[in-house]
Amino acid sequence: MATQTPVPAVLDQTTSTACRPMWLEVLHDWVTTVDHKKIGLMYIGYALLFLVVAGFEALLIRIQLAIPNNTFVSPQVFNRLFTMHGSTMIFFVAMPVLFGFGNYLIPLMIGARDMAFPRLNAFSFWVSAFGGLLLYFSYFGGSGLYGAGSAPDVGWWAYAPLTAKAFSPGHSTDYWTLAILLSGVGTIGTALNIVTTVICMRCPGMKLSRMPLLVWIYLVMSLMAFVTISPLTAAQIMLMLDRYLGSHLFDTQAGGSAVLWMHFFWIFGHPEVYILILPAFAFANEIIPVFSRKAIFGYPAMVAATVGIGFVSLSVWAHHMFTVGMGAGANTFFVFSSMTIAVPTGIKIFNWLATIWGGKIRFTTSMMFAIGFLFQFLIAGLTGIMLAVAPFDWQLGNSYFVVAHFHYVIVGGILFMLFSAFYYWYPKMTGRMLSEKLGKWHFWLFLIGFHLTFDIMHIPGILGMPRRIYTYEADRGWMIWNLLVSSGAMIQTVGVLLFVYNLVRSYFKGAVAGADPWDGWTLEWSTTSPPPSYNFAVIPSVGSRRPLWDLKHPEDPDNNYE
Amino acid sequence: MNNDEERTQSGVVELPSPTAWPMVLALGLALICTGMVTNVVIGLLGLLLFVWGGIGWFLQVLPHEQHVEVPVLNEEIEIASSRRLKARLPASDMHRKILPIETYHISAGIKGGIAGGIAMIVPAALFGLIRYHSIWYAANLLAAGGFVSWIGASDAFLSQFHMQGLFAAIAIHGLTSLLVGLLYGAVLPMYPRYPIVTAGLVAPLLFTGILHSALGVISPILNQRIDWFWFVISQVAFGLVCGFVVNLHTRVRTAQFRALPFAVRAGIHSDFAARNDPAEKADKKDQAQ
Ligand SMILES: [Cu+2]
Repeated sequence: MATQTPVPAVLDQTTSTACRPMWLEVLHDWVTTVDHKKIGLMYIGYALLFLVVAGFEALLIRIQLAIPNNTFVSPQVFNRLFTMHGSTMIFFVAMPVLFGFGNYLIPLMIGARDMAFPRLNAFSFWVSAFGGLLLYFSYFGGSGLYGAGSAPDVGWWAYAPLTAKAFSPGHSTDYWTLAILLSGVGTIGTALNIVTTVICMRCPGMKLSRMPLLVWIYLVMSLMAFVTISPLTAAQIMLMLDRYLGSHLFDTQAGGSAVLWMHFFWIFGHPEVYILILPAFAFANEIIPVFSRKAIFGYPAMVAATVGIGFVSLSVWAHHMFTVGMGAGANTFFVFSSMTIAVPTGIKIFNWLATIWGGKIRFTTSMMFAIGFLFQFLIAGLTGIMLAVAPFDWQLGNSYFVVAHFHYVIVGGILFMLFSAFYYWYPKMTGRMLSEKLGKWHFWLFLIGFHLTFDIMHIPGILGMPRRIYTYEADRGWMIWNLLVSSGAMIQTVGVLLFVYNLVRSYFKGAVAGADPWDGWTLEWSTTSPPPSYNFAVIPSVGSRRPLWDLKHPEDPDNNYE
Repeated sequence: MNNDEERTQSGVVELPSPTAWPMVLALGLALICTGMVTNVVIGLLGLLLFVWGGIGWFLQVLPHEQHVEVPVLNEEIEIASSRRLKARLPASDMHRKILPIETYHISAGIKGGIAGGIAMIVPAALFGLIRYHSIWYAANLLAAGGFVSWIGASDAFLSQFHMQGLFAAIAIHGLTSLLVGLLYGAVLPMYPRYPIVTAGLVAPLLFTGILHSALGVISPILNQRIDWFWFVISQVAFGLVCGFVVNLHTRVRTAQFRALPFAVRAGIHSDFAARNDPAEKADKKDQAQ
């Protein structure tokens, strides 16, 4: 057993000075920082900003679709809205917020003082941030500075040949390509950083088999990012060759292949779903045990399932292409590989249930969001299996059923778990507790709004409503469903606004959290809230997967059982 | 670690110094991209910033990485649980699953699968020889499931030697044997009382039952021509040999073993009841929290 070192806390003397720093100094501080915690917070703040923007776009889309024959926005604006909504949510909300939490938590959880490459870390953040700004600059300069501005309107898949110069003149598509390219550079940088940090910077006693599951999952997720961002970047460069230098890689009429783009995009696009959902699993693995007062059930199985998901998810991409006509052999392969992924995912769900089972559950807001995640992710997985059956997909591919399915994954799964993570780690990041009362309001409003929107959204899909449709005739019978879906979106908006208000208010007025408000077990709770810039005055050493349990219960330490 | 402690005692921690160069480099890269959709002048400005930022970054780390020394004030944080451990009502042992305290290494299952797979060839070849006077018949029949063009093949065709049939049969048979062998390695420790019955009789019969109902979907041609009597014989041959080989291997102790009382681990005191201990102990621990 490795020795347990008591962890000394630290008082930063500089904060006690009377005069507050000038705002310019604060700005300088943040712009020049290489501290993983500050970079993490910048990632999170910037993602929240884009969350509000892309959420607003979703709201406009829902208003347009609420009633038949609506002309709330023009068809052109509508196309831009859904393109920007999708691209922003994936590349400039989900990715940065997940990397933000990873950046903040990984060094703290493995007992390190910073990431392996602190400057690369800053570079990765800034390059993604500038990518997001470039994407939105298209609203002002879409056709070049000489023409009127217009945003990309080719959808977040940007299928060929829609992106060819002939069908997308001006620069709107180029904005999309370049912004995604920049965000990809940032992603690769952070992924490299996370992998190196996890492999090289663990504190004494932190064997791979003792790493918190969150760290394990971020390791797998980062390795996946290497494999999947590369084809995406390659495809973007090829698209730029087509558009700038006149090559015909995706131009079917000149001997290119439009299906090639689909393969490139989805071999990125499907693993991307798992890159996004894995951090949600990671949060669940830390939060559910603490609020069930039990160690995680089946740690090795969880690790194996994570690695399994990482591998299998690389071989399922063409289930997005069943309607293309790939032939019986390819369809069969991708049906079976897509179904295989339900096995490791199922293992995880059973392990979470087994962790909760018989535990002494504390229904904090964080735990309630986590439980919501469990049920909703299960349903999202089940509609996923339905869509993985090729003949079923031929009926419902490109319908609102698909839209409902993947929003169930992203909102019901990832976003719910993200909210849970905010309520859990906000005290560590700011030193203040989020208001539980506002939190409960946020949870119930968002839960009701979510189910109103996305449960019901399956129905117009089954009734044949295609996705990306601008408006529809009154006699289709879709109106009542769309009206309900849109009203649910309103309720979700209120919930999110409450959450943002809670974030701001609690920063100033929240109850003081202390180092360890949840009676947690991982190393981040052994230092002050917020942690000092060096994290730990003395590098800790650990003897089990729950080092703080060992310190709190020296009579019954975990390594007797692991 | 020593170095680290010294510094902490001197009240200082070294951290990489803050720098804006990565941001400048990123801005340069972003402006190069912006230049492609606006004006080349912006791209050139980006290139300038890119090079400038790169040089600045290099000077940050070469020849020596720049550090700042951050003062530390040591104060003990008390790490204590706000909750008390409670004694728990005793639960009946009957509800608790018994976890194996010993299991096989994964290689035992693989070796067992290989041995069993080889043993299975003997009854399969015998079946072909007796019924069709050809040792290749069984292999070709197995391979036919993988070739769409062989679905209507005649018995005479299946009795001849086909190179691709042999390869396909080896692939199918090899993979299945390995997987089933692994399963044996995992399952046998869970039924420690009569391993030979489990391995040589129960498992083959179960497997035959499953295949009997599913084979029409997996391989219709095999389903038409299979001889279930010989099939059971070959399954039993596999099970006996595979189970025998797996059982030959020494067992490795699982985490549950380490939780047993010392007297049991040392071999001084041992009986079946002792196996309840780890589960019970883990249970107490769960409930205590
Ligand atoms: Cu997919």
